[in-house]
Amino acid sequence: MTDPALVGVDAVILAPALLPALAAVLVLVGDAGILLAGAAALALLHDAGGGPRDTTVTTALLLAAATGGAGVAASRDLGAWLVTLELATVPLVALVALRGSRTAAHGALTLLVTSVTSFALLVLGSALWLTATGDAAFAADTVSAAWGDPERRTVLVLAVTVLLCGLGFKLSLVPFHAWTPQAYSTADIGTAAALATMSKVSAAAALLVVASALTGTGPDAGRVSVVVGIVAAASMLLGNVMALRQDDATRLLAWSTVAQAGWVLLPVAALSTSGLRASAAYVLVYALATMVAFAAVARVGTGPLARFRGLLRRDRLTGGALALALLVLAGLPPGVIGLVAKVVALGPAVDAGLWPLVVVAVVAVVLGVAVYLRWFALLLGEPAEHAPAEGGGGGSRAVLMLGTALLVLLSALPALLLDLLS
Amino acid sequence: MVLSLLLAIPAAAGLWLVTGGRALPLAAARTLSAAAVGLTLVLSLAAAVSREGIDRPWLPDLGVRFSFGVDGIAVPLVLLTAAIGALVVAHAWVEVPEGGTPATFLGCLLLVEAGALATFTARDAVLFFVAFELVLVPMWVLISRYGDRHDDHARADAGHRFVLYTALGSTLMLVGILALVTFAGTSDLRELAAGAGASLSPDRQLLVAALLVTGLAVKVPVFPVHTWLPPAHTIAPTAGSVLLAAVLLKMGTYGLVRLPVATVPDGFARLSPVLAVLGVVGIVWGALVCLVERDLKRLIAYSSVAHMGFVVLALAAGTETGLQAALFANIAHGVVSALLFVLVGGLKQRWGTVDLSVARPALRETSPRLGFVLVLGLAASLGLPGLAGFWGELLAVYAAWAPADNRPRALFVGCAVVAAVGAALASAYALRVARRVWVGDVPDPEAGTTRDTRGVEAVVLTTLALGVVVLGVLPGPLLAVTADAVARIGGAR
Repeated sequence: MTDPALVGVDAVILAPALLPALAAVLVLVGDAGILLAGAAALALLHDAGGGPRDTTVTTALLLAAATGGAGVAASRDLGAWLVTLELATVPLVALVALRGSRTAAHGALTLLVTSVTSFALLVLGSALWLTATGDAAFAADTVSAAWGDPERRTVLVLAVTVLLCGLGFKLSLVPFHAWTPQAYSTADIGTAAALATMSKVSAAAALLVVASALTGTGPDAGRVSVVVGIVAAASMLLGNVMALRQDDATRLLAWSTVAQAGWVLLPVAALSTSGLRASAAYVLVYALATMVAFAAVARVGTGPLARFRGLLRRDRLTGGALALALLVLAGLPPGVIGLVAKVVALGPAVDAGLWPLVVVAVVAVVLGVAVYLRWFALLLGEPAEHAPAEGGGGGSRAVLMLGTALLVLLSALPALLLDLLS
Repeated sequence: MVLSLLLAIPAAAGLWLVTGGRALPLAAARTLSAAAVGLTLVLSLAAAVSREGIDRPWLPDLGVRFSFGVDGIAVPLVLLTAAIGALVVAHAWVEVPEGGTPATFLGCLLLVEAGALATFTARDAVLFFVAFELVLVPMWVLISRYGDRHDDHARADAGHRFVLYTALGSTLMLVGILALVTFAGTSDLRELAAGAGASLSPDRQLLVAALLVTGLAVKVPVFPVHTWLPPAHTIAPTAGSVLLAAVLLKMGTYGLVRLPVATVPDGFARLSPVLAVLGVVGIVWGALVCLVERDLKRLIAYSSVAHMGFVVLALAAGTETGLQAALFANIAHGVVSALLFVLVGGLKQRWGTVDLSVARPALRETSPRLGFVLVLGLAASLGLPGLAGFWGELLAVYAAWAPADNRPRALFVGCAVVAAVGAALASAYALRVARRVWVGDVPDPEAGTTRDTRGVEAVVLTTLALGVVVLGVLPGPLLAVTADAVARIGGAR
């Protein structure tokens, strides 16, 4: 039982019983989100076809990644955390290489280099964490002990910074986001959807494991907040500004991921339990809406945004689902759950008095509205003369219908999601 | 029950019309919407009498409740919204703009009405914010899809300006609300108003008030963040302009009364000199633009900026009279601007453009009824005694002349004087419009005569004209309705 990974596996199995109440809730809800996203991505991949062997390999890879994601949410041990986090990432690199177009090999290479770099940073960060706290686990009490000692505190801040950089690659945070648009646009749509939803929920779960230990730093966690806040602000601004300039649906969704990752990080900067809960709620809402958007893109086909012109009139199901998903991402009613997620995310930051970050978030809201309304306006427009016919099989239809039903349900009763996390 | 139905009926009918019933033919969609708004109007009267409320947990985690209710401040606005909602749907018998299906158009009108009703009745600060956001998307659709077909680029631009400015304002307001809720520990607007910010330190009051006032100023709109309003009004279809002027702008001033004035009165008092000056600048700026503006619809939009300046000035004065004046001017502007927009929309439909530099035969000769209503609307707009515009502006100037004790008196007296000059400028631009349109420029025998108003349009115009006269002759009942609630607000002393 000396192998740290095995200790972590124990924690996975016994998680709800062993962990504090909030962490247990986050683990359960996070795992449910990861598994749902995995199932949806699998449905989209299945639609795209491929030989029987290909399908088996795809399923195996996706399940491996889902296992990793589910594990990382529950791990409290440094070793288990690292291993499961890599397990959540590496199969997706293979998936990009296997499933995409010929150019995808290039995208997979970028992704591989990125994830190896990220792994190196995470290992370094873990080592620094171990040095600072003297504990091979993410625990609030050892963190607060380390925080009391000025020298160890410096090492701890460095550890958090390095860990955040490593996680930044996985969450597509600025300045570690550059792989995102390329990987999304070269991979096939199911893989891109898995990268954008399942992988992001896993990475957010990994982030929350670290952040929940950091709530032990007490009220003067200023320096950690600054590090987290700068990354969040940069992601929200750059992601939205770049998304405004995209003409390709997948690339727009890629940049939107970058911006939304900033929103996931925003409440974490407050380093409070309500912030962690807000971050979990936000990432789940984001993943759900993004999955619906990807399913709609799978039906219409990737390519320029102009393909979506008049979609609401051509195909009510796809158009309506995409419209709702975009409004949720923008945080505008009738996508009430998106608005509530933004309110919940801003709350802890206002609570903690992080005013510069709040101001950036206000600007990001406006930019985000512009990004998603630009696409939404096309859906409302007149259909073109020779509109392409919508394809897509049963898988994407099922994802669309289930996802939209969930979005509608949560918009009508946002308390369902928040109660789940409290 | 009454209140639940009041909110649910327009929302459900509107949602169905924009989703399942999009392809509904015009006649069916019109009948359905008319039934919905008619029922809403009856229910709004019932809600005004019964004054019952809804109170249920909504986001228990955040302590936010699904709490709606009407009090003296909300009653006039709820009635105004329901009445204007009925009139804009009736206007669909006169004109249904192109750009999409008629059912979607009517559905968006109903959704805006539902959102406005929810805003005016919300008793929880976070819920108020959500309701405030509800109107954004349907109004954006009305402007950018159903707006003026002449210029696609201008239409998209006006829609974007509207939605982006408003989103900026409402997000700032949200930050203010979240700060207020954090500091005060509750999001119930009644408790917040009863506490009147006593639990907040002066600096925190100032911070919250600054965030709330800045955010809401965009919606009102206050100079210099008014620049979204003229394009939106000019481009929007007639029904959209009417809703925008008569209902949506009121959400801004209502928010100012409910949030900063009631919950952080001391912080608001420290900001009020700035707000008063900006209000007065808006009055003068709006009036000056109106003196040279060539597009009649845009001119009415700028006159809205001027009228809202009076409301803001009255609010800034901080007395009970000031609040009363603001609430009265709010309603009066709603009725008068609705009248003018219906009228100008009708003229645009007849003439194709409402450019004042085009010489046209006298409206009083070609279509005397339209001409009469125009003169009535302009007279009310310039604040002629006996019409709706008079009381609000008179009381606003009076309130600024005698502000609350904690306001700098000299500054406010100066503002009152400038506002009075602005009112004089208003008569100048009103007379300019009357001379160009009503008297006519060149008697041109070649020009075809303008069809006079009749049918539904005449009914809509007559109803609004009656409203203008009744509010002007009998201001008492409306002032009495708001008096009790105003007396309970912390800012008034």
